[in-house]
Order: sequence, then structure tokens, then C-alpha cells
Amino acid sequence: MRRATPALLLVLALAGCGQSDDRATVRAVTERFFNAYEANQGAVACATMATETRKQLESEESRPCPEAIGSIELSGGAISHVSVQLTSAKVDLADGESLFLSQEQPGWRITALGCRPTESPTDTPLDCELEA
Amino acid sequence: MPRWIRDNSLGLCFGLLFLGTLVGQALVGHADFNHSQMQHHDDPISLGRYIFSSDFGSDVMENWQSEYLQFTLFILATVWLLQRGSPESKQLDNPGRESDKEQKVGEHAGARSPKWARVNDWRTRVYENSLLIVMASIWLASWGVQSVTGHVAYNAEQFDHQQAAVSWVGYLGTADFWNRTLQNWQSEFLAVGSMAVLSIYLRQRGSPESKPVGSAHDATGVEG
Repeated sequence: MRRATPALLLVLALAGCGQSDDRATVRAVTERFFNAYEANQGAVACATMATETRKQLESEESRPCPEAIGSIELSGGAISHVSVQLTSAKVDLADGESLFLSQEQPGWRITALGCRPTESPTDTPLDCELEA
Repeated sequence: MPRWIRDNSLGLCFGLLFLGTLVGQALVGHADFNHSQMQHHDDPISLGRYIFSSDFGSDVMENWQSEYLQFTLFILATVWLLQRGSPESKQLDNPGRESDKEQKVGEHAGARSPKWARVNDWRTRVYENSLLIVMASIWLASWGVQSVTGHVAYNAEQFDHQQAAVSWVGYLGTADFWNRTLQNWQSEFLAVGSMAVLSIYLRQRGSPESKPVGSAHDATGVEG
């Protein structure tokens, strides 16, 4: 038991480090998206989005993602909270809007944008401006 | 075969079966998890990450807690509850905690009795319930860990569907938590109940879990 305790603490510490790294990456991807979105750098913004989400945008707007991304109305704002649950993440912005991310082949990518709670936020999906 | 292996073969056998099946569960659980990831165009994760994930933790802990609950309840219930004809039951005229003499406690302890059975103070009170205390503690601990790992796995699913996360307390009230819990509890209670009843009429020659083959159906508390 005396040997097992440090090993258990090490495992928990490593697991905690992994979560912390993921939170930092998710925050960085979100900031990269909003910086590019506000600077009208469509290609950079689209590179932070999940493949299926880009396809959905191009299908809705009938234009390539870098041209279409500007037509999505997003409020932006400071990041107030980042939550990572295994390979899925939710980022809350200060004005109440949220984004969802997922860990894809190249890394963390945005799967849904401009999401706001509906009347029953826990039981029903958030209402998103763009989602796959 | 060395003597110590023969003398401990029951514990060793089930210890190895446990490790083998846990490794098997980790391998197929990892494959299943990554299959689901691919279906959602998500990145597969490594085996190491899967083993320390809430998904694997929840799958393991929900089974552990139910097994330890089963034995906790069985140890407790068989102090007072009887089953006529079952080798799992005490004799019908002897329900309850029994006398110190029957339990070899305090002044009735023998020279080879454990020290805490002889001292007849608080240590004896702890020791005479130690099996129940440890089994119940493992049950509650593993049920608690199940709630934590299940909470993370549940919120990951919520995020995949653009839904908000729920708190840990909120998760304890979800159908997911109680479905994972009760589906395991019901199978454990069925197994224990059927073992107690089937062993009234059925036999396994040589097993202490069965009555001797020739015992009467109404012989109670007799082990083979």
C-alpha cells in the first residue's frame, strides 16, 4: 500500500497535467479562431474548424469556407470558462455564447459556433449559429 | 506443483482470471471506443489514454461496486435471514449474531484465535465486523468513483450533442447514473438469490458451495 500510494498520486498528477494541456490547447484554438474571424482571415479561421462543420457551412452558404465564415454572426468576447471532457470540450464566452470542440486527427477543432442556451439548457441542445 | 500454490490455488486462480479479463476489457473497450470516435470523425486515442479515461473507469467501477454490494448484503443478510434447505443459510434455530462462546470471542477465544478476537474491547467489536466493514467500504468507494468517472463520460456525450454540462450532484439524479447502477445490481441479486434457492435441490459433488450429494433437500446450513 505504501508503494501503491505514490504511484496512484503520480497517475492522478499525470491525468491532471493531460487535462490542463488540453484546456490550454482548446483555449488557444478558440482564440486563434476569433482573432482570424475579427481580422477577416477566413482561411485561418476555417483551419480551426472541424471538417464536417466546414462542409456544413459551405453547404449552407454555397461558397468556400474562407469566404462564407464572415456571414456567420458571432459576438466573440473574452473566454470565461473552458471545460474539457475526454475528447470533447465546451468554451463559454463572457457574453453567454458558447463553442464546442472535438479532438480530431490534426488536434482540437471547433464543431459548433455561436451556441446559446434554449429554455431548458440541460436537456436540450444549445441553439447554434453553425453546427455539423 | 509447489505446496503453496496448491494451498492458495483458489485465490491465485481468480486473481489471474481477474487480471486477464481486465486486460481483455481494456483492449476491446479501447477498440470499441475508437470505433465510435471514427464514426463521429473524431481522433482515435491511445490505449494508455483510454485506460486512464473516464470511459474505461466508469465501465470498470460500475461492475466493481455491484459485486462488492452483493457480498456486503449477503454477509449482512445471512446473519439474520434463513433459507430452509440451503447450504448458504445458517441452521434454522440459530439466526442472529450468536453467543461469544459460539463465536470464540474474549474468554472463549482459543490459543490460536486472532489477538483482536481475544482482547474483548473496542478492537474485538471492530474485528468481529471487519469483513462487512471492508466490503462495504470498497463498495461505497467504487460506487463513488463510478459517479465521478460516469459524470465525465456523461458530459463528454453532452458536449458531442451541443448540450450543457451537468454538475456532479446533477449527474447523480440522471437516468444514466441509475441505469448503469441498477442494471448491475439486479443481476447480482438474481445470482445470489438463485444460488441460495437452487442449492436446496441441486448438488455439485466436492464443492463446499453445495451440500453433500446425498443430503436431504431440507438439510439446512450443511456444506459439502
